[in-house]
Amino acid sequence: MHGSVPGRAPLVRTPTQRARLRFPMQYCTHCQKAIATIVIMDLVEGAVTGSQHVCAGCAEQLGVATQKQPKFSAEMLEDLLGGLKGAKPLSRASRTEACPGCGLSPMEFRAKGRLGCPRCYETFRHELMPLLQRIHEAQSHRGRMPGITSAPPPQSIDERTLSDLRRKLEDAVRGEQYEEAARLRDDLRRAERGEGSQS
Amino acid sequence: MSSGRGDKNPEFRPGTWLQGTGPECDIAICTRARLARNLQGFRFSPCLEPDESRRLYDFVSGRLRQGGLPEQLNVLDLERVDELERNVLVERHLISRELAASKRPSGVAVDAEESIAVMINEEDHLRMQVFASGLQTEAVWKRAERLDDALMQRLPMACSEEFGFLTSCPTNTGTGLRLSVMLHLPGLVWSEEIDKATNTAQKIHLAVRGLYGEGSRALGDFYQVSNQVTLGRDEMQIQADVLLAVGRVVQWEREVRGALLRSSARVRTLDRVHRALGILERAQILTSEEALGSLSALRFGVEEELLEGFAIADVNRALLLSQPGHLQRHTRELMSPEERDQRRAQLLRDVLGCAP
Repeated sequence: MHGSVPGRAPLVRTPTQRARLRFPMQYCTHCQKAIATIVIMDLVEGAVTGSQHVCAGCAEQLGVATQKQPKFSAEMLEDLLGGLKGAKPLSRASRTEACPGCGLSPMEFRAKGRLGCPRCYETFRHELMPLLQRIHEAQSHRGRMPGITSAPPPQSIDERTLSDLRRKLEDAVRGEQYEEAARLRDDLRRAERGEGSQS
Repeated sequence: MSSGRGDKNPEFRPGTWLQGTGPECDIAICTRARLARNLQGFRFSPCLEPDESRRLYDFVSGRLRQGGLPEQLNVLDLERVDELERNVLVERHLISRELAASKRPSGVAVDAEESIAVMINEEDHLRMQVFASGLQTEAVWKRAERLDDALMQRLPMACSEEFGFLTSCPTNTGTGLRLSVMLHLPGLVWSEEIDKATNTAQKIHLAVRGLYGEGSRALGDFYQVSNQVTLGRDEMQIQADVLLAVGRVVQWEREVRGALLRSSARVRTLDRVHRALGILERAQILTSEEALGSLSALRFGVEEELLEGFAIADVNRALLLSQPGHLQRHTRELMSPEERDQRRAQLLRDVLGCAP
């Protein structure tokens, strides 16, 4: 038995294919001199659209060097939030009061990196947005909700989407997420012209 | 499943994740879907006052006991479970280390096959876990979704249109879904390619962790690959991401294994496998780490047909039984590390049917 994604070729070889499989020793597609040790896969929406085999030297030059990237873990939240403590004292975020739902103070939120109750999501919104962007590279949900049994279809462009985009743009600017802000601005322009959002 | 040399522990059920069946089960040991959910009107578990915590636990466990759910669940009240038995539950992946150490009123609802475990009052009010042997992302997700649907009709879940399901830690916000596959990767470890493999996975935002999750070491060459992103990608996209990375790692492991069994590398690989068998057959004192290392090599030898007479299910069983909680459960007493190491050596010989 072998698993595969519907509509996509099986990811893993059958036993007969395995037996015939040779270790794919190949030269770097860039320098053509060294043995390729790294495979760079181009991913679009989770699907591989292309790949290249490169050696460690070329990988470094291409900016996909193999130095260990720190993986994002819950422990790292504390460090990240620690950085926020030193943020500009007059920023709006630092003036947030304790959460009316649970009494969690902004200090406690920054120290633990955990929210105290569902209302904290609104209370600490301005600190949370850049944090969510860092962790997930996204700031809003896609997928199931109570009462919706499977992923909803892409939303049509309507007024709600426009106001949603505007609000996110404001948040991104406030959170100094300029790259995200630029992307949202472009999305907003497209949406206003009725071309549909790419987010 | 072909029968192996050892079957001296017939009363022991291995749990779904160690059955050694399912797609790609030679490398992908098991797949797990975990959903984090919280109730409206309560603080998140770590912030609950003691009486509130009790109220939450009673409410949730009551609803889980009510029946009519798509799964037959038995609620285990952890306040009535001692430390030793809690460790057994951790080793069986039914509860987390954090829940085992928790002083809050808490529990876990488990089905008879140990393929579903719903933790109550962990970091989130509910953490549903669904397990399946082998690589079965779609099957575990479908089952988790069905249970989630039923629970959403019984419990008012905290969510917002903007952020999705609201969780205690922002790393779970959104879908609350962590989809993970446990992989046995001795080939990548032995040929020192494992760092490259884990880097590849991390580049597409997947986490690679040890056997017992965050912060745990990859003992016995076991690794978990799971999605890191829970916000902004829906459940289907998360499945596709995990399946893509796991498929690539599985393929890579197969290629590396092929190389380890060819020409001059073959004799070194055979030596390694047979040395491991020698240790398991003869050692009188075995630490947990050495046992896991040797069992990993044995598992590799059996999968690649270098050794005969062992069933993968027995090797998997040996892996679990050699953990400290399971070892001590047998005798119902806490042992010193030295006693445990002796008991472990003996038990592994029994399970694997090796000569004393």
